[in-house]
Formats: sequence, structure tokens, C-alpha cells
Amino acid sequence: MKFRTANGAQTFDVEILSRDGALLRLRIDGEEITAEIEPAARGGALVRSRGRSLRVHAARRRNSILVAVGPAVFDLIPVEGRGARGAHGLATPEVTAPMPGKVLKVVVAEGEAVAAGQPLLVLEAMKMETTLYAEGDAIVGKVHAAPGAMVEHGAVLLELSPADSSKPESATPNR
Amino acid sequence: MEKRRITRLLVANRGEIALRIIRSARVMGIRTAAVYSEADASAAHVAAADDARLIGPPEPAQSYLNIAAIIQAAKELRADAIHPGYGFLSERPDFERAAEAAGLIFIGPPAQVMATLGDKVAARRLAIEAGVPVVLGIDVADPASARTFADEASFPILIKAAAGGGGRGMRIVESAQDLAGALEAASREAKAAFGDGRIFLERYLARPRHIEVQILGDHHGRVVAIGERECSIQRRYQKVIEESPAPGLAADLRSRIIDSALRLARTAGYRNAGTFEFLVDGGSFYFLEVNARLQVEHPVTELCFGRDLVCDQLEIAAGARVAEPQTPRGCAIECRINAEDAAHDFRPATGTVLELNLPAGPGVRVDTHIAAGTTISPYYDSLLAKLICHGENRDRARARIAAALDEFFLLGVQNTAAFLRDVVLSEPFARADLSTQFLPQFFPQWAPAYDDLRIALAAAAMTAQGAFEPARAGAIGTAPADGAAEAAVRSPWARLGSFELWSRR
Repeated sequence: MKFRTANGAQTFDVEILSRDGALLRLRIDGEEITAEIEPAARGGALVRSRGRSLRVHAARRRNSILVAVGPAVFDLIPVEGRGARGAHGLATPEVTAPMPGKVLKVVVAEGEAVAAGQPLLVLEAMKMETTLYAEGDAIVGKVHAAPGAMVEHGAVLLELSPADSSKPESATPNR
Repeated sequence: MEKRRITRLLVANRGEIALRIIRSARVMGIRTAAVYSEADASAAHVAAADDARLIGPPEPAQSYLNIAAIIQAAKELRADAIHPGYGFLSERPDFERAAEAAGLIFIGPPAQVMATLGDKVAARRLAIEAGVPVVLGIDVADPASARTFADEASFPILIKAAAGGGGRGMRIVESAQDLAGALEAASREAKAAFGDGRIFLERYLARPRHIEVQILGDHHGRVVAIGERECSIQRRYQKVIEESPAPGLAADLRSRIIDSALRLARTAGYRNAGTFEFLVDGGSFYFLEVNARLQVEHPVTELCFGRDLVCDQLEIAAGARVAEPQTPRGCAIECRINAEDAAHDFRPATGTVLELNLPAGPGVRVDTHIAAGTTISPYYDSLLAKLICHGENRDRARARIAAALDEFFLLGVQNTAAFLRDVVLSEPFARADLSTQFLPQFFPQWAPAYDDLRIALAAAAMTAQGAFEPARAGAIGTAPADGAAEAAVRSPWARLGSFELWSRR
């Protein structure tokens, strides 16, 4: 997926390659990096990187993801991939696989109305389950994912259309 | 002067300084009363005070600058004294006069002294009278005499507004051809900004240091200096990092600066706490201005001298005699953590504090009004917290404040902590290569470390793909005040531990 810095023009391409225990492997703008991430006692995560131990917290805002890495704060806007929002306050009309893995379960059916935050399907990758949720109220379109199928990173799993395009803000999850 | 008793103090301010004043009043057994705007109903200073009154809408002009509303609140709350803090009405002689007309003790210098020192031309004349050096300049700037002066002083020269101060109402003129236009524009701007179009000219100092003296004057004619502060690290005339003592300042230069401040304070009939500011250029120094109030950066003096300047202010106002200061100890450095985006021209930031970790430990002081859940609104200044560290010497204080900044953690509002950490860890700061041009010279642009950015991108990627069960905003102990803006806020990390991925082997 791609992120843009909130006030700047910089865009970064980020791909999570694997997760094994505390070890996370990812590729950022073509460069592969690893990070050791442990949950921290007081919430957030502890990231060990180059001899420094940093507390990391993230929060999702309406249009961006705010991340604090020690004293540094980053405001990152998803511009492509899951998490990027379309014109109607809905995530991109397609739900794509955030990582390579196996489809465990498809929770919704074609034509079904889903509410913001409702689970759509469950993926398994690197010994963990990841539930993908509806970013906003929507109608489920075509479902491409079938339980048991192996999917590549970025594969389209299902399609969504806005529940009611006349009231776009209602698509924002309010939980 | 006879002793006056202060039993109930109204604090006419908000934010960290209101909280800080309330704490000292409590130490002295004085009851406290807060005033607040509609935006501050749940603010820390309101909760901390014994009593509080709403004084108006969020806009400062209708609340914290509303003299009538504040005096009315003071009467209703039966206060017998008012502390104005800094900013807002703290240097407004008309506020002091209104307070005194209502029978209240004003914690500050007499209104007439404040009025004289607040006028840059009058203050400059007073400094000359007291034998205090001022930058070469002229009072009245008609185009002909301005031209004569500029030719003698050589360009660039500085045009200043008589009613300005703190960097407001200033303009640098680089060459003779710009002079006439600049004079006219400066006068017009001063008239619009301050209602007073008077301007004056000074020679422009390219790389001065900003060094100021903390003064305390009592009502028995005694004036003492509580050391100096170095405040050269500024951005657009706003101080960013301050310290005491001024590093590497020659002993005789220091004592000449302090003597000048004392002379000017005595000549002006100064009372209570005030700061006398100077520009230092090589071995020369020049009077800049007086801040007739408590300064934001007063804690560095407090840590070095082991005293509480607000207690001093309250005692002086009650008629006590001020004592000579003790010998200062070690070094103290203050960093102002502001709600600004340091990577993007220090753009002001707003938001709700979702996660906060304040540093602690020996020699670490944090003056702040924020906590998890605090909303930073666009109405007031951007100061989130002052971090002040003391050490037995400058290197220790510097290492301590760098470590403390590393401990500082704030999710929810963009802030300058990481920038400040990089500045205090920088080589020019270590060797104290200080001037008011420090930031433009050594940090013309700043971006957070790429290492940190990569970790942030990893965290954002995991958050975006919903790899973690999002926690409800309430579940992390915060109640987003602005429902619309923060509706979707939640920490995806909050329940990290429950995932197989994160189970410890």
C-alpha cells in the first residue's frame, strides 16, 4: 500500500512481507527491513531498532493514520490499498489482501448491506488470523475470495459500493 | 509600605502558567480562583483552583482579554489579588488600573512603570538616562533623518514600532532604495497592529545573542538580580530553548549586563518580577526591552537558584522584602514543546491528546496543563509543555534533557519534541555556538529521522490493513472531545497482546 505524509508531498510504498513472532519483515520503497515489535506494558508497542527502544502508538483518524515513534509524530495518509478512502468516505471500492495468505472465512454475501466496522472476511498468514472490516457502511458487490483459496498480496477479495452516496459522512465508522 | 494580606488570588490566565501559579499560591496558603473560557471548561487550571468562573466564549478577546469580565469574576469570587501570568493582559496597564480601582492587588510592577517600559521609545530613552547601552539608533523616523542615520549606521537597519515588542512590529531594511517605502509601510503596519504608528530605527545586529536578566524589586526600594538566562535559540523571535547561566559568557561582561539591568530597574522604579533583555554582540551588549511580568522561561532560573519566583512575586506584592539571591548551582535548560509541525514550517497543530508519557526523574521538571483527553484548540498559543532539566554542569543538563525528550511521548497532536531532541543533541548546541540565528543557520530545515519514519510506516501499514482489532477510543482512556474529527480514532495496538502473533514464546 502507499502512504503520503500529511503535510508533505512524499509518498512511500509499503508492503508487509511476513510476520513471525515479534519479527516483522517489510519492504519500504523497495528496501527490505526487519523490525522487532513487542507489545508494551502500558499499551502500544515497543520497537527495537538500531540499539534504541521506542514506544510506538498508532491511531486511525478520519483520513489518516497518526503514529508516534518515541517523541516523533507522523501523520500518514493512505493513498492506495486498503485504508485509502474513496470519494464517498468509503474505503476504496475493493477490499484487497494486505498480505499473501489463505482465505479462512468469508463472512458476508453478495448484495448484503454492511455497517462500518463489520467483519468482511478472515485471512490467515504467517500463523495469524487477520480480520478485514468494512471501513464504512456499504453494499457488498462481487465476492472474489473463496474459503481455502491462497491469495497474493493485493489480490481483490471483494467489491463494495457506498450504502447511500447522498450522505457520505455516515460511512465514517463511529465506534 | 504596610504589609498587605493576600488571602484569595484570582489567576487571570490559562494553560500551564495558570496551573503553575495556582500551585505556588497553594504552597503559601492562599486560596485560588480561576477564570476560563467556554473552550476551557474542563481545563486543568479550572480543576486545580479552589473556585472558578466562566468569563466568555473561546475567542481571547471575549474571555482572557476581557478586562470587565475578569474584574467582575474577581469580585464575585471575593479575590483580593490578581496574577496575570504571561501573555494576555499581563502587560496591559489598563488592566492593572482596573484591578486596582476594584480594590485588588495586582501582582506586577506599577501601571505607570509598565506603561513606560512597554513603550519602546520611552524605554530606550530611560535606558540611555540610566547609562545603559542601547543599539545605535534614532527615535523619530522622518524620511530625511532616517536616511542620514542609515548612511551613518550602514545597512541593513532595523525599523521597530514603538508599541511593538517580542519581535512584533519589526522590519529589516537591506538597502537605501528600500528605505522610504519601508518606513511608510512599517508606520502603517504599526498603526494597524498597535493603534500607534510611531516607529524608530536601530542598527541591525546580524548574529547577536539574546541574554536577559531576572529582576525582583520590592516595595521598599530594593532591587535584586536573580542571574541571567540565555534565550538565543529562537524561531521568528519566539524563544524555543532557554538556559541559565549563559554558557561561556565572560565574568566581567556578565556583571556589566547585570549591573545595567539593576540600574535600569532602579531608574524605572521597578517592582515585582521582570525581565530585562539585552542583545550581546561580541564583547558589547545593548538594551533590548523589558518584559514587565513573569516569563515563560522563568523555571530555568528557579532550578539554578533553588527558589520559586511566583512565591517571590506573591510575597513582594504582600509587602515583604526581597532577599539577595543565593549562589546559583549548576545549569538548567528549558525546551518549549509546542503543538506545531516542525517538519512543515512549524505549522500549528490541533487535536486531542490520546496517549501521553511525561518524562520524570532527578533534575527533570515538566510544566504542563495537558493530559490524555486534553483537546488542543486553535484559540490559544501552541505551548503544550515546558520541559526543564537541571544538571551539575551544562553537559549533564544537556544529556538529561535529551534523554527526557526521548521519554516524552504524545500521540494525537503533532508536536516539536523530536525536533527539540535533535537540536539539543546537535554539535553546535553542544559547543554553545549560540546566536539568534542558531536555528536558521543550523536547522534551516528539519525532518524526523528516516529510521523513525520507517517504523511509523510499518505501524501505519499494519493499522491500515486492520491487522489488529481496533480498540474503541474510550477503551484507551480517552474521550475524544471533537466527535466529528476524532470519531474514528482508536488505537490498533491496544489489544495487541491478545493476538497469537504477539504471544511471547
